[in-house]
Amino acid sequence: MQTLKRNILAVPIVVWIGLLVGVPLLFVFVLSFLSRDSLGNIVVQFTLENYQRVFDPIYLRVFLNSLLLALLTGILTLVVGYPVAYITSNLEPKKRALSIGLIMLPFWISSLLRTYGWMILLGNAGIINNVLRALGVIDAPLSMMYKFSTTLIGTAYMLVPFMIVAIFNSVDKLDRSLLEASYDLGANKRQTFFNITLPLTIPGIAGGFTLVFIPALGLFYVSDLLGGGNTIFLGNLINTQVTRGRNRPLAAAFSMAMIVVAILVISLYGRVAKDDREGLFQ
Amino acid sequence: MKNRRFSLVIGILVIALLAVVVVRYVNRGEEAPGEVNLMTWGGDFIPRAIIEEFEKETGIKVNYKEVTSNEDMQSLLEASPDQYDLAVTTDYMVDILRQSDMLAVLDKSKIPNYANINPVYHGAYYDPNDQYSIPYAISISFLLVNPEGVESLGARPITSYEDMWQEELVNNIVLIDWSVEIMGLVLKSLGYEYNETDPVKVAEAREKLFALKPNIKRFETNTPEDSLVNGEAVIGFMYSNQAVKGQQARPNLQPVFPTEGMPIYIDSWVMSKQAPNKDGAYKFLDFIMRPEIAARIADMTKFTSPNKAAEAHLPADFKNNPMLNLADEVVENTSFYIGVDRVLDEYEHIYSEFKLR
Amino acid sequence: MKLKTSKFGAFYLSLFFVVLYLPVLSVILYSFNASPSTAQWTGFTLDWYRELFRDRVIVESFKVSIEVALLTALLSAIMGTASAVISMWVTDGMKKAIQGMMVLPLLVPEIALGIALLIFFNSINLPFGHLTLVLSHSLFCVPYVYIMVQLRLKEIDRSILESARDLGATTWQVIETVILPLVTPSIITASLLALAMSLDDVIISTYMSGAKTTTLPVHIFSMMRVGVTPKVNALCTLILVGTFFIVGLSQLTKKQNKEAV
Repeated sequence: MQTLKRNILAVPIVVWIGLLVGVPLLFVFVLSFLSRDSLGNIVVQFTLENYQRVFDPIYLRVFLNSLLLALLTGILTLVVGYPVAYITSNLEPKKRALSIGLIMLPFWISSLLRTYGWMILLGNAGIINNVLRALGVIDAPLSMMYKFSTTLIGTAYMLVPFMIVAIFNSVDKLDRSLLEASYDLGANKRQTFFNITLPLTIPGIAGGFTLVFIPALGLFYVSDLLGGGNTIFLGNLINTQVTRGRNRPLAAAFSMAMIVVAILVISLYGRVAKDDREGLFQ
Repeated sequence: MKNRRFSLVIGILVIALLAVVVVRYVNRGEEAPGEVNLMTWGGDFIPRAIIEEFEKETGIKVNYKEVTSNEDMQSLLEASPDQYDLAVTTDYMVDILRQSDMLAVLDKSKIPNYANINPVYHGAYYDPNDQYSIPYAISISFLLVNPEGVESLGARPITSYEDMWQEELVNNIVLIDWSVEIMGLVLKSLGYEYNETDPVKVAEAREKLFALKPNIKRFETNTPEDSLVNGEAVIGFMYSNQAVKGQQARPNLQPVFPTEGMPIYIDSWVMSKQAPNKDGAYKFLDFIMRPEIAARIADMTKFTSPNKAAEAHLPADFKNNPMLNLADEVVENTSFYIGVDRVLDEYEHIYSEFKLR
Repeated sequence: MKLKTSKFGAFYLSLFFVVLYLPVLSVILYSFNASPSTAQWTGFTLDWYRELFRDRVIVESFKVSIEVALLTALLSAIMGTASAVISMWVTDGMKKAIQGMMVLPLLVPEIALGIALLIFFNSINLPFGHLTLVLSHSLFCVPYVYIMVQLRLKEIDRSILESARDLGATTWQVIETVILPLVTPSIITASLLALAMSLDDVIISTYMSGAKTTTLPVHIFSMMRVGVTPKVNALCTLILVGTFFIVGLSQLTKKQNKEAV
């Protein structure tokens, strides 16, 4: 009875999200076992073929490619975003609000346009090349577009605010007295950071990683535009199979595989984060 | 005190926003009799200026649902067939929708201007008896070439697909990003037909496709012409409307109609079987098939018009443009991608392998 | 203790903002480009701004986007915060269930979610438009609010809650006086993120908008096939300038209020 009373408030939320995500998820799951007729339309006929194709060596490489991109994006946004979050949280309140505002503001602009913005910057006849040429630094335009690294930069750019906000939330509520105590005990700034600040903000890092890693797995137009479509990621593959590839059951199977992989990765570093924290307080 | 003011502000916000939803929701209920809902590619694929003229003349409001793929149109039409009157969709999708029993048989007696359509476009494979579709925009794919660029790289002039395999052209080609199209290009260069299923021929095409990889700068479906305009590539395989725009931006770019043959696309009007406002839809179809209107649409969108009567109204630079006013020998050298669903899975797989190289 | 921002810190932050805003500035710059394509700069013009004001589709779709984004942010803030706060009281099993539910919408690829919701909403006869847009957008926004708020709640000392309870505070009083003030900054930043994500969503919106509603990103994306015109750049420039203006104005009035007091 007591348990029931405690849980009753959570029921509407679980039902609401469960319905809106559960039903589509179930749909995707069922679809991944269905076949197509000669027109490419879906017919209700059970098959495991779609999953067989997920394990095709070529498509497995697409998976690895995406995992690599998502992982590197997570690391890059962490390395770039942590200092931003840390410095921002140490600012005086007014400047801090300004800083957070400035971080959010670009995201009011369509991400497609901001991707074009990168193309304007990095392109052959782009701003950076023109400036460097005018300064006499280079003779021929630098080739900066259509590479894996261009896709990585673009993806990290799109997702870095999620990392910053998550870390900011956890740096911000750090108990300052802990840091003070650390200094009093003779620790220097670096020791304090690595022994106190960093371990205490690991939940923020893990949260940020979740919010960056998962979308990075699924993004597709960034690699289409900045990567020049020169390689394939999971997002491109699923998107193509849904539209021009006309194979939605296969796309559903890929989606299921992606969900499983994402859950595995999250639970993996969720465990790492937890262990560290418990170690700290023991 | 402060807390209470905060709650008040939030409360007012909630109520105001809920009011917006309710008003919108209720508005949705009253279906205005004089509305036509159409669905197709966005931008100005059907120029808004033309739509506004139609609205002014007839008092019928036109709602334009924008999508980015034929398959999205199919999904939306299947989900709510009673929400859409008209759609413009590509040939192969007309075929699929027709066979899936989604389309209404068009009553030509309500579209007098249908007579303006060039009979050459009658009886296409996707609608053998011209019952379900009316052609709207025609495009073909070919090569847009920067001849000086090709020369400065030390390669021979480009006249065919075969010429794209010259090793001097490394990193200098931009291609439309679709498996069927790129496999089609390779098959044609080998002297085979589109959508070949013979495993030996497909294997041969696969090897040849892989050999092209070093020469490719970029895959781009939407604005491949930009790569030729900014000089990062010297050859682009693209649709005619894109090539026209590329040449406008950089006049030294030249079209090359590959001798091996080219694909042709016809985007066509279709009507939903459960269209809520068929009369309005017929009025709209008849309006845009008026010769002068069709001519203006062709000029604005840079697509070849199937409207024979429109030719008299086309501006001179349109008529003199070989990419828009297609010569007979060019048209004769084109073919549709028929039976895409037979080959898609295999081509997609080869194409993925190609990209990962 | 107040940590002072070092010179290096200030330098790093400035550098970060430069990189963050460079693509945005390029977008703004090319709203004045005479050529309709981003491939080249052919001269200065204000034509795109003129055309923008004549373009009722862009203006209307922008209005729809704003309405949907505000509603989504609000709904997500309420649902996300409620979920996080309720999580503090429920049993561990239920807490795990909520957590799992909250990550799920992020896991399903957008295109799969979009098509599945299209079929689902259609089968329960929900008319496509504002309602379906807000419902689907809040689906992927709620988790962000939940995660952000929860990150902050994790650090609340259980003892504070217990001592408040010991002092005779009701659950609601605890929430109102202890929890809400603590998580308000998180709610605000998370709502801003939700707003931005709703304003930027294309894939799900393609399937969720009805025959008569278009959101701005859907409009922009569907333009890609015939080329995105600098009209859109012009609109984004105006949005940015407008936001700066509003923020600046509110800062100014705040200052004046303070001086008046």
